[in-house]
Amino acid sequence: MACAESLKVQAYFDGELEGPQARAIEQHLESCTDCRALLTDLKRLRTVIRRDLSPRAPAALTERIRAALDAEPAQATVHVLRPAAARRPFWLGAFGGLTVGALAASLLFSLMPLIGGSFAEELAGAHVRSLGSTHLVEVESSDHHTVKPWFAGHADVSPVVADFAAQGFRLVGGRTDLLDHQRAAVLVYQHGAHVINVFAWEDRHGGRAGRDTRSGYHMIFWQDRDLAYCAVSDTGWNELEGLVALLRAQQAADAPH
Amino acid sequence: MDARRMRFEAQVLPHLDSAYRFARWLTRSPADADDLVQESVLRAWRGLEGLRGTDVRAWLFAIVRNCHATLHRQGRRHASVPLPGEHETEEDLAMASTDPDPEALAVMSDDERQFDRLLAGLSEEHREVLALRELEEMSYREIADITRIPIGTVMSRLARAREALRERWLKESEGELRGVR
Repeated sequence: MACAESLKVQAYFDGELEGPQARAIEQHLESCTDCRALLTDLKRLRTVIRRDLSPRAPAALTERIRAALDAEPAQATVHVLRPAAARRPFWLGAFGGLTVGALAASLLFSLMPLIGGSFAEELAGAHVRSLGSTHLVEVESSDHHTVKPWFAGHADVSPVVADFAAQGFRLVGGRTDLLDHQRAAVLVYQHGAHVINVFAWEDRHGGRAGRDTRSGYHMIFWQDRDLAYCAVSDTGWNELEGLVALLRAQQAADAPH
Repeated sequence: MDARRMRFEAQVLPHLDSAYRFARWLTRSPADADDLVQESVLRAWRGLEGLRGTDVRAWLFAIVRNCHATLHRQGRRHASVPLPGEHETEEDLAMASTDPDPEALAVMSDDERQFDRLLAGLSEEHREVLALRELEEMSYREIADITRIPIGTVMSRLARAREALRERWLKESEGELRGVR
C-alpha cells in the first residue's frame, strides 16, 4: 500500500473508475510493481471472502421467520384493537391510537438520515421511536440526584437535570440515544398525556438555535455552553416553550459565576 | 395468503440470504445473526408501508443496521461492554470482542469457526464496509448512503478493512500450515 495511487487502484478494482481514469490506472499498473501486487491481493481476498465468508441463511431460520410472520396479527387492526391499552404505561397508551400509516412513518423516519434527511428529522425519528419502544426511559426516576449520575456512566454528556412537577412537567427519567455518533443524553418529561424528549449532545460550534416542526412534532433548539439541546414533542408551542424556559433558567442558575 | 403478505414474500424475502450474510458479518455469531435477522424481518413486515423506493435491499439493510444498534445497545447495558469503535487500546478491543463461549464454540461447525477466526480481528466498521462491498457488491455511493459516511471515508475504510482481513487470513493460513507439519 506504499504507492500514492493505491486508493485509485482499489477504486479501479471495485469498478468505480470511468473510462479515462481507468485507462490511466491501467497505464500506471504497467509500471508500478507495488500496485500490481496490490491488485493481485485484492483479487485473492475477494475470492476468499466469497468462498469462505459468505454464509447462507439456514433453512431453519427461514422457516422460523415464516412462522413468525404467520403469527403476526393482521396489520390493519393491530394497533387499534389493544384492550390492554389502559394498563399500559401512559406513553404506550398515547401511541395506541396511532394508525399503521403513522407506524410506517416512524419507520420512514428511521431511514431518513440515510436518504439525505436533516438532523432535525433524525431527532424527530428518535422521538417517535422512543414512544413506540419499551425503552422510553432507561433510568426511571423523578429525582435529579438519581438521573444525573446515571448519565455520567451512560452518556457522553452531562446535561442539566431537574424535575418540574410543580409546574406541570414531571421528570419521568432518562435514557441515551445514539445521535451524531455520540451517546446523547435524553431527559424524558411527561406533560398531561404528552411525552417531551429533551435531547442533549455535545456541539462546540453552537450553531443551532430556533424552532422546527417535522411531521407534526415541534422542536426547540438551544445551546448552553458546549451542549446543544433540543426539546421535541407533540404538545403545543406554549407548553414546549414553558419547559424550555424552565430548563434554561435552571441552566443559568447552575452556570459557574 | 393475503395481498400484503404476497407483496412481502415477493419483494422482501428474496433478500433474506443477503440480510443474513450482513447480520453474520455484523454480529459474527450464528445465533445472534438469527435473532437479528428475525427481528429485522418482523420490523420490515410491520413497516412495509414505509417502503416507497425501489431499492428493497438497501431499505432492509438499514433496518438490520438500526436493529443491530438497538440490540447491541441493550446487550451493552447488561454486560457493560463498550461498542466497537469506542475502544482505544488493544486491551479494550479484547474486552469488546464477542468471542463465543466454549459451549458455543463446541457446537460450531468448522466453517463457522473459520468465519469467526477470520473476522475476529476486524472492527465492526471494517466488517460492515467489507460485507457491503465484497458480498453485496454495492457501489461506494450505496455504501456511503447506508453507513452514513462520506465516500472518501468509504474508500479509506475499505482499504484498511481489506488490509486487516488480508493479514488475518495470512496468519490463519500460516497456522494451518504449521498444524499440518
